[in-house]
Amino acid sequence: MTWNWPYVAQIMPALLAGVWETFLVTVACAVIAIGGGLVLAVVSSLAGRPGRLAVRGVVELLRGVPILVVLYFGYYALPQLGVTLSAFFVGVLVLGVIYAAYCSEVYRGALLSIPAGTHDACAALGLSTVVTWRKVLIPLAVRRSVPALVNYVLVLYRQSAFLFAIGVPVLLARAQVAGDQSFRYLEPYTLTGVLYLTLNLPFVYLLHRHEARHAHIAV
Amino acid sequence: MRQLFPYLPALWNALGITVLIATLSILGAALTSVALGILRAARNSPARRVSAGTVEILRGASAIIYLFWIYYALPAVPGAPRLSPFAASVLVLSLTGGAYGAEIVRGGIQAVPHSQLDACHALGLSRRHTVLRVMLPQALSQIVPAFSSLAADMMKWTVIVSFVGVQDVFYVANTARAVTNRTVAIYLLLVVIYWLLCSCTSLIFRGIEYALPLSKARRASQAPSRSFSSTSATREPAVES
Repeated sequence: MTWNWPYVAQIMPALLAGVWETFLVTVACAVIAIGGGLVLAVVSSLAGRPGRLAVRGVVELLRGVPILVVLYFGYYALPQLGVTLSAFFVGVLVLGVIYAAYCSEVYRGALLSIPAGTHDACAALGLSTVVTWRKVLIPLAVRRSVPALVNYVLVLYRQSAFLFAIGVPVLLARAQVAGDQSFRYLEPYTLTGVLYLTLNLPFVYLLHRHEARHAHIAV
Repeated sequence: MRQLFPYLPALWNALGITVLIATLSILGAALTSVALGILRAARNSPARRVSAGTVEILRGASAIIYLFWIYYALPAVPGAPRLSPFAASVLVLSLTGGAYGAEIVRGGIQAVPHSQLDACHALGLSRRHTVLRVMLPQALSQIVPAFSSLAADMMKWTVIVSFVGVQDVFYVANTARAVTNRTVAIYLLLVVIYWLLCSCTSLIFRGIEYALPLSKARRASQAPSRSFSSTSATREPAVES
């Protein structure tokens, strides 16, 4: 069996629709992960010992279990518990929440790297807790976290392929459908691999270059 | 929960498959990491570029994309082998794990200060002695802790093998779920299983770390631990769970 161009032309629209779906999933997950991660990090710094331990427990749990286990749990168990969501929402929610746990660690590290003098300065200026966090600590922590967060968005883009398992029509799912319909797997899977790579590598390159350029600056 | 009892023997066997795949993949990844990592740190620039390219490509897409390609698409290429699900799984996990490990190995090698090589040269140590007695022990004490967390991640990556029909613990658990409909219990059980597997992996690596020459030397001297340089071999946060 060799490469068949007419077949490629026939399946390309479906694959490109899969690229678009992958893009939507990635953006939606990134919003949940980046926003939710910040909330988790701020809550665990502001809450007392019990709150901090609870957040740590959830974060460790989410990071310690394969994504697919959480994904299937969301897809099969939530309806039994009385929550019915579409596969797209389950997928986005699960992936977003898992990476919120990863992102919260990034923010936590950034918050810890803010010198104690900054807290003292805010106290000396008589800033309220809300203003200290909203105007000083969170902006500083977010600025320091950007490269790691961008990296996680790229990871999310790659991991979104897993959503094929619950039937979200991401790129990998489109390839699977095309292959199963025609019993030709070479073209769909090769194109899928090439598409995943070519859409990812430029961003990876830019991120690496940014990191190399700013490596010497203590961000 | 009682409905799940008949499935426990099958789950136990499947756990063996998961552990086997993970062990072989982690060993394969260690070999791949060393090979790619040494090339990555090489002075020869074509070798470095080839290795860097391989690492970026292997990390550039999810392991499941490569698994599907090797399993479904590769046999259609004239002259290419048709791998069994098991072999394809171990191959893909070893290569993708090795791509992440290569950065760890490179970081470990580069964390040994260049001045030490100069010192070895000045002392007239042979190249073999320099590498085996000076560089390797120091590099390993950076590499092993970072590789430990990669190995724990790889334990979680093994779930993808169920999609090409390897009957690992995730595969059997899903079958049990489809028959018994005890969804919550099954997935909670899986959470516990994978958490235990990751913890065991970390423990094993803790043991390896304890047995490293530099750890022994540190214990012998009772000196407080110190790092060699700020460029430690910690992985960039590209961890995929």
